[in-house]
Amino acid sequence: MSTTGQPREAVIEIRNLTKIYRDFWGRKKVRAVNALSLDVYKGEVFGLLGPNGSGKTTTLKMLLGLLFPTEGEIKILGQSASDVRKNERIGYLPEESYLYRFLTGEETLDFYGRLFNMSGADRKQRTDELLKLVKVEHARKRQLKEYSKGMTRRIGLAQALINHPDLILLDEPTSGLDPLGSRDMKDLILDLKAQGKTIVMCSHLLADVQDVCDRIAILYGGELKVLGRVDELLKTQNQTQVLSSQLTPAAQAEVEAVLKKHGAQYQVDHPTANLEELFLRTVQESKDRPGRRLIADDPANKV
Amino acid sequence: MNFDAVPFPVLYSFILWAIVIGSATSIVLVISLMATIVSVGVRGPLVFANELGAMVGDLISLSPRRIFALAQLTFREAIRRKALMVFVVFAILFMFAGWFMSSSNLAPEFQVKIYVSFVLRAISWLILPVVLLLACWGIPEDIRLRSMHTVVTKPARRLELVIGRMVGYSFVGLIVLAVMSVVGWGWINRQLPVAAQSQLVCRQPIEGGLTFLDREGNPSEKGINVGDIRMFHSFIEGATKARAIWTFNGVGDQSLDREGNLLLENRFQAFRSHKGDMRRSIYFQYTFVNPETNVRVPYPLKTIDEGRGRTDRINRTLVNVGESADGKKYDIVNDLVTKSGQLTVEVACVDPGQYLGMARPDLFVRTADLPFAYGYFKAVACIGMMMLLVIFMGVSVSTFVKGPVATFLVFSVVMVSYTARDFMGKIVGDPFVLAKAREWSGQLDMQKLEGGGVLESIYRILWHMNPTTDLPVGASTTIMKWIDAGLVNFLWLVYRVIPNLDYFGQSMQYVANGFDVRFDACVLPCILTTLAYFGPCVLLGYFALRVRELEAK
Repeated sequence: MSTTGQPREAVIEIRNLTKIYRDFWGRKKVRAVNALSLDVYKGEVFGLLGPNGSGKTTTLKMLLGLLFPTEGEIKILGQSASDVRKNERIGYLPEESYLYRFLTGEETLDFYGRLFNMSGADRKQRTDELLKLVKVEHARKRQLKEYSKGMTRRIGLAQALINHPDLILLDEPTSGLDPLGSRDMKDLILDLKAQGKTIVMCSHLLADVQDVCDRIAILYGGELKVLGRVDELLKTQNQTQVLSSQLTPAAQAEVEAVLKKHGAQYQVDHPTANLEELFLRTVQESKDRPGRRLIADDPANKV
Repeated sequence: MNFDAVPFPVLYSFILWAIVIGSATSIVLVISLMATIVSVGVRGPLVFANELGAMVGDLISLSPRRIFALAQLTFREAIRRKALMVFVVFAILFMFAGWFMSSSNLAPEFQVKIYVSFVLRAISWLILPVVLLLACWGIPEDIRLRSMHTVVTKPARRLELVIGRMVGYSFVGLIVLAVMSVVGWGWINRQLPVAAQSQLVCRQPIEGGLTFLDREGNPSEKGINVGDIRMFHSFIEGATKARAIWTFNGVGDQSLDREGNLLLENRFQAFRSHKGDMRRSIYFQYTFVNPETNVRVPYPLKTIDEGRGRTDRINRTLVNVGESADGKKYDIVNDLVTKSGQLTVEVACVDPGQYLGMARPDLFVRTADLPFAYGYFKAVACIGMMMLLVIFMGVSVSTFVKGPVATFLVFSVVMVSYTARDFMGKIVGDPFVLAKAREWSGQLDMQKLEGGGVLESIYRILWHMNPTTDLPVGASTTIMKWIDAGLVNFLWLVYRVIPNLDYFGQSMQYVANGFDVRFDACVLPCILTTLAYFGPCVLLGYFALRVRELEAK
C-alpha cells in the first residue's frame, strides 16, 4: 500500500521463480535462484543485493528473457518476460557495456533508436540529448573501442534511455565509473525516479545502493533473505543521533550534563565526511581554482 | 559443352520442396511438443500453442526499419573488421596470374576458356570462404561477447535479427562480388592475347531436339556406341542411311545474321575404323528438310573440325545440288522452315567406314552474338546466388552452434553436395541422378542401388553372408528391414536438404565456352534454389534463437 492508502501498481511481479542450470545431459549443476517471489512498484528505485553467485544477475536476465525460468512466473509491465513487446518500455544497462565496439557513439545510439522504430528526426534529437546528458558529446564520432571504461559505461546508459523507458534495469550501474561519474549516475537515477520511472538495480557497492534505493532485496544462495525499505531496514531503534553545528564548548558541556543526569550512554565526536564527499569537493575546488595546490600539510612529510 | 542443358523442372522441384519442408517442419514440431510436455508437464500443449502463436505473431510484425538497422550493423561490422582485405589477395592473384597464363600455342577459344575460367573460379573461391566465415561467426561472436544482449532486450524480434544478419552479409558479399567481377572483366579484356579477342563472345544458340536413323534408315533413339563408357555422344556410320536429325524451333528471319546467312555451328567428333585420307578430315553433309512439305535440300559437303568445331554460314538461298538435283533455288526461311518456325537438319557422315559422333548440343543455330559481358555477368550473378545460399546456411546454422562448428558444418554440406550427393541420389532413387548415371556408366537398365541397409549389411558382415544369400525369415529380420527402410527415408530427407550446387558451377562452363548462360537451365535453377533455402534457413535460425538461452555459456 502506498502512503495515500492506494494499492501500489506492481511493475514487476515475480512468483516462485526458480532457475536451475543443467549440464549437457540435463543433470542439475546449480540452483541459481530458488522460489523467489517479490514485487517492484511503479516509481521506486529497487536494489537487488547479494554476494557473487547469489542469483541477482540471473534474476535480472530472467526478467529480460535472456534466460528462461525453470519454474515460476514473471510479469513485467503486465506482460510475460518472454514477450518481446515488453521491451518497448524497458531500458537495460548490462553489467559490462556489451556494445558494438566498432560503432561510434553517435552510430550506437542511432542503431538502438532504429530498433525502437524511431524516426530519423527523433533519433537525431534523442541522440544529441543523451550524448549531452551522459557527457560524451565530445567523443560522438569516435569508435567505442577508443572509449575509456567510464565513457563506455556512460554510452551504455544512454542506449538504455534511448526509448524514454518506464522501467530501467541497471546491472552494476556505477562499476567502472570514477567517483565523479558515480555521483553523476546516482544523480541521474534519482532524476529518473523524479520523472516517475521505475528503476531496478543490481550492485555490489552498498553505499551506492543506500544512496539511491527506496527498497532492497538481499539474495543469498539464490534465496530471498531480506526485503524492505532501506530506511526502515537500517534504522537503529535504541540509539538517537543529534547533529548540531556551531555548538560552543559551554553548550556542549551543558548537553553532556543533561545526558549524564538521565543516565544515558553517549559519545561526543566530530562527524567525518566520507571519502566520496572529500573527493568530490577536491575535484570541484580544482575546477574552480585551477593551479592552486590543495595538498594539506601532512606532518609525516616533514623531515 | 560436354553436358546437355535441359530446362529446370520447376513444378517437380516445387512439389519436392514442399514435401521436404512439410516433413522437416512436422518432425521439428512433434519433437518440440514432446520436449515441452516433458519440460512443463500437462501444461505442455498449452505452452507449446502459446509459443507457436507468438512465433506467428513475430512473423507478421516484422519491421523493415529494424531489419535495415541490423543489416547496416552487420555491414559496418564486416567492413570495419577488415573483410575487404580479400581484395588484397584478389589483387595479388591478378597482378601475377598473367605471367603463367599467356600461351599463344593454344587455339583462341581455348585461351578464352582458360582466362574466363580462371577469373570466375578465382572470384568464387575467394568470395565463398569470406562470406562463409563472416556468416558463421557473426551471431556466435555476438552471443559470446554478449553484444546481443543489448539487441534482444530491445523490441527487435529474433527473426529480424536473423534476416538482418543475412541481408547485411549479402550486401557485403554483393559489393565485393561486384568489384571483383568488374575488375575481372577488365582483366580478361586487357590480358587476353589480341588473337583470341575475337572469341570473346556470348553465343545465343537455338538448340534443337536430336533423333537418329540407324544404318538401315529406321528411326532410333540413339546412334552407335563406339566404346565410350559415357554415352553422351552417339555415332552415325559413314556412307549408310544413318542420320542424326535435329529439329530446331523458333527459326525465322531474326535467326539470320546481317548478311542473311543462317549460322550453323557444330562440334562433331570423329571415330575412325581406318586411317582414311590423311590430307583431310571426315566429310559430312547437312540436308535441310521442311517436315510439312517434305522438301529436302542437301548442302555441299563439309569436313569436320575435330576438337574445335566449326561455324558454317549457310546462305539463305540454297540451290538443290543433291541426288535429286533440280537446280531449283530454295529460301531457307520461306521454303524450308515451317509456319510454326520449325527447321529440320539431317546430318550424314559421308566417308565409308568412318563414324561421326554428336550429342544434342553439338549442332545449333547461332543467332547474333551478344557482347561477352552479357554472359559473363550472368555467370557472376549465379556465383552471387551461390554466395547468398552459403550466407543463408551459415547464418542459420550459426544460431545453434558456435562459429568453428558452423563453418565446418556448412563447408561439409557444400563438399557433400559436390562429392557424395549423386551417390546418395542413387540410393534414394532420384530419377535425374539415375538418368545422369546411366549416361555416364552406359548401363541403360540402372535402377536405384539395391541391397541391404545399414543393419542388414552389418548382419551380413558379421555372419559372413554374401548379398545374394537370403536372410533367415523371422521377426528380427522384419524389424531389421523396417529400421533400414526408416534410415533410407531419413537419408532421402538429408539428400533433399543438401542443396544441388551443380547449376551454380555450370554457369561458368557456359561463359568459358563462349555461350550465353541459359536462363531456364541455369540462371532460373540458381535463383529458385537460393530462394528455396532462404525461407527455411530464416525459420530455422529464428526457431533456434528463440528456444535457446542467449546467456547460456
